[in-house]
Amino acid sequence: MNEPIKVTDELEFLDASKVSIARNAYAELVVQLPDGTTHTKVEPVRSFPVSETVRYIALLDSEGSEIGIVEDVRKLTPQSRDVLMDELQKRYFMPKITKINSLDGQFGVTTWDVETTQGDVEFGIRTRYDIVTLESGRVLIKDADGNRYEIENYNKLDPKSIALLQTQM
Amino acid sequence: MHNPMSGSRRGKSHRMGSFNGRPRRKKGNNELTTKEDVPELLQKQAQELLEKGEEIKVAVSTDLRFDSTYGKDWLLATDKRLIAFNQSGVLGHDMREVALTSVEDIEILEMYGNNILKVTTSENAFELARYSKRLTPKFNLAVSELEKLPALKDADSGDGARGRGGPGSGGRRRGRRGPGGNPGMQPGGDKSRCEKCGEPIPTWSGVCVNCVQNSKLIFRLFKYAIPFLYIMIPAFLLMLVIRFVAVLPPILSKELVDNILDPAGTVISAAVDNGGPVPEQLPETSWGHLEGIKNVLSGWFGSMPLGGSFGHLIWLVAFMAGIRVFTMAVSSVRGYMMAWVGQNITRRLQNETYEHLNALSIDFFHERDTGNLMSRITHDVSRLRDFIANGLQDIIGDSLTLINMCIIMFLFSWKLALWTLIPIPCLIFFTIFFGKKMSKVYHVLWKRYANISTILASTIPGVRVVKAFARERYEISRFSEMTYEVFSGEMNAAKLGSLYRPMMQLFTYSGSIIIWLVGGWQLFQGDITLGILVMFQSYIMQFFGPVYTLCQMNERFIRAGTSAERVFEILDTPPSVADKQDAVALANIRGAIEFKDVYFSYDNEKNALNGISFDVQPGEMIGLVGHSGAGKSTLVNLITRFYDPNRGTIVIDGHNSKDIRIKALRQQVGVVLQDPFLFAGTIAENIGYSKPGSSRHEIIAAAKAANAHDFIIKFPDGYDTMVGERGARVSGGERQRISIARAILKNPRILILDEATSSIDTETESKIQEALERLVQGRTVFAIAHRLSTLKYANRLVVLKEGEVDEIGTHEELIAKDGTYANLCQKQTELSKIRAW
Repeated sequence: MNEPIKVTDELEFLDASKVSIARNAYAELVVQLPDGTTHTKVEPVRSFPVSETVRYIALLDSEGSEIGIVEDVRKLTPQSRDVLMDELQKRYFMPKITKINSLDGQFGVTTWDVETTQGDVEFGIRTRYDIVTLESGRVLIKDADGNRYEIENYNKLDPKSIALLQTQM
Repeated sequence: MHNPMSGSRRGKSHRMGSFNGRPRRKKGNNELTTKEDVPELLQKQAQELLEKGEEIKVAVSTDLRFDSTYGKDWLLATDKRLIAFNQSGVLGHDMREVALTSVEDIEILEMYGNNILKVTTSENAFELARYSKRLTPKFNLAVSELEKLPALKDADSGDGARGRGGPGSGGRRRGRRGPGGNPGMQPGGDKSRCEKCGEPIPTWSGVCVNCVQNSKLIFRLFKYAIPFLYIMIPAFLLMLVIRFVAVLPPILSKELVDNILDPAGTVISAAVDNGGPVPEQLPETSWGHLEGIKNVLSGWFGSMPLGGSFGHLIWLVAFMAGIRVFTMAVSSVRGYMMAWVGQNITRRLQNETYEHLNALSIDFFHERDTGNLMSRITHDVSRLRDFIANGLQDIIGDSLTLINMCIIMFLFSWKLALWTLIPIPCLIFFTIFFGKKMSKVYHVLWKRYANISTILASTIPGVRVVKAFARERYEISRFSEMTYEVFSGEMNAAKLGSLYRPMMQLFTYSGSIIIWLVGGWQLFQGDITLGILVMFQSYIMQFFGPVYTLCQMNERFIRAGTSAERVFEILDTPPSVADKQDAVALANIRGAIEFKDVYFSYDNEKNALNGISFDVQPGEMIGLVGHSGAGKSTLVNLITRFYDPNRGTIVIDGHNSKDIRIKALRQQVGVVLQDPFLFAGTIAENIGYSKPGSSRHEIIAAAKAANAHDFIIKFPDGYDTMVGERGARVSGGERQRISIARAILKNPRILILDEATSSIDTETESKIQEALERLVQGRTVFAIAHRLSTLKYANRLVVLKEGEVDEIGTHEELIAKDGTYANLCQKQTELSKIRAW
């Protein structure tokens, strides 16, 4: 009797060593696949923006259909990797909060005054459901305007920040 | 309307039947008997018909007559004949006789609010008895008794049409299964009446409130306290200490007044100058009654000269303060201890209940309301905690406080004590009286609040309908009526509440007034000292709390008992589908499935499956076709062992499904349901749910195969997008694709697609079809679909009709046969043409 096909047999990733990713004069990404076809205006998309930042990067063509998936950015050639990392960094902006200075709540909207790796910022949160705590202690925050912030591990913040944060979770 | 005479309504569960609006019933009517005592007059009449040696085998009375009035008619049966007595109007009973040998069929016609027993002979038919739904069990039994009569059996043998013989199977069938048919399968949640006492069971509780055996349940509850006794007993002792110490301060105030502030009794002596005996050494005599307490304090007062001094005042006040601080410290320690115990009990009970809930079979959840089960785990459990941890100790403690106070008061002055206690019976009476009133008012109020929630819960999600039909005004006025109801309910509560507290204060105060009056008089008489008067005053103020608690005691017991019953009902229900002891853990299922004459019924009356038999080869894809209610979903529910067949067997790889360990089986079966459920969590977690520890690689692969990958990565958060109750909006089709990915990831040997692609547009569906076509290789697949094009890759199609296999074969074979399937196919083709156009 033949064994059932495993789903993983069906999934192929791009051959990282043979893909080249470059930037053209219009600051668009140009991807050349191992079979020689090239795509311009390529958009890299993280499959797991929260949990995997450098793996499983889907490359979409200008129409939005998928060209292929880069399993691990680090396996690309150095030039390609730098271009892709640079682009991802632009597309995904999520500062890490290092300290919470104050929380000010009124009518269910909380104003956060925080220090992040990218500088100090103040933002408002409309509902506590926009604060997601993961099991690892990681906290993901979406503010009123759709900006994102994260706390790598809230247990490692200073006690005052933890106390403030706990009022929100 | 459906014609009740057609007979297809026969065989509805008597448990499902709503009970008649006017139950005519005596206590003890619950014992089923088919040999009742026939009134003499009727018996005489019947005897005239009987031959020698013929005796009455069955005698049952009805509660309803054919003229639609309540009253007793009779149905008797002997070995040879049926005799029915029917009364119409005021005239006496009318007698009818049917010879058993002529009887061809006995059936029960289920009507609206009543049933009729009908007997058909070769020439005509008689309706012999009419009865309310309450008597359904009795008549079911009676009919099965009648079936046993030999004359009837003989008649049947010539008949030859005994139906298919399945439980509740269709076809010509005499009578119906008696109530004892298969008690083990009785769905528990649909009980409308208690099995023990026959009283209706309230829907909200699901257990009979009358039969809750409080003492037994409460005893059982203590099982949960036992592991924490090492904390509970010290806490209990601490409570005793607190309660004993709590009665001391008034005694100290007495000492303060009598021995220190006014040691010579100047206040009184001034008043009793005109001859009364000066109560010298009065404190001493009083102490005589209270040796125990005196001993505690004697070291103190003994060394103290009678004349008070400021130094002594400080000492005594310091002692009073010390008692307060001590009480405070001990109570807070005890409070913490009991909170720890209480929370531990809650947690244990909750975990145990939830664990058992997970072990229970699907049918348990089908029969019960989710909200009801949720409140059992949250609300009832915490009520039990409160009872175990606080309730009993409160009751003991409060009784103790009251007893202590009474003893002390009686010892110091029994006369004044008697006077003081006069308002207490009134206090008790009013507390109970108001308590009952209040609970009624609050119950009504609670229901009205629930009505508001109901309106909101139905109109807010249904806002599109409300707006589409411009019914906003109507909804607003409906809502406004509800808020008015709540308003008036709240006002009723306020009326009682604002009366209650002042009343209670009045009673307490009247006690205090009595003390001033009677005590003051006794003071003048020299019977008591000023200190005693002060002491009584402070005791009466402490009386109210404990009295109130004790008055609520009964209600507390009842509530705890009901909660306990509700929780224990879950714990006591055995799973209806369970592993046998020697169950096989089938590690690698090949997927050969054989249905052997499988019967199944959800309610034990109407059969969902009526003798299904067919074989499935490993790796075969079977398309299940049929109208809704034909039994397609039921069939796949049996493969996963959500239910077990009532009769017949399902053989998987040569093993009876009942012999296979459920966990092993389900690990190798993947199910995609029509309305798939997503848990609150990320998409990746939802896909990975079927295979713990699955890698991201696998998750992406599964999503790709289910054609879900493309839409998932378009979400800003990709696979990390939160879905579920509060998560991102995921459409029905997207949900289905996520759930297909979930099933595929598991790499199951048996894949069940129950309308898995119904919410997906045809184009996407065909993409999934392609993916599935490759994936189904090497798997046994059961696919249910209304859209027949979905089944184009199926090796064979099984057409079900009313729980039976109607046709079976490949698409071409069935088309050639020009039967049900061909017909369905043609209709759908026509439909699709219209759509295309």
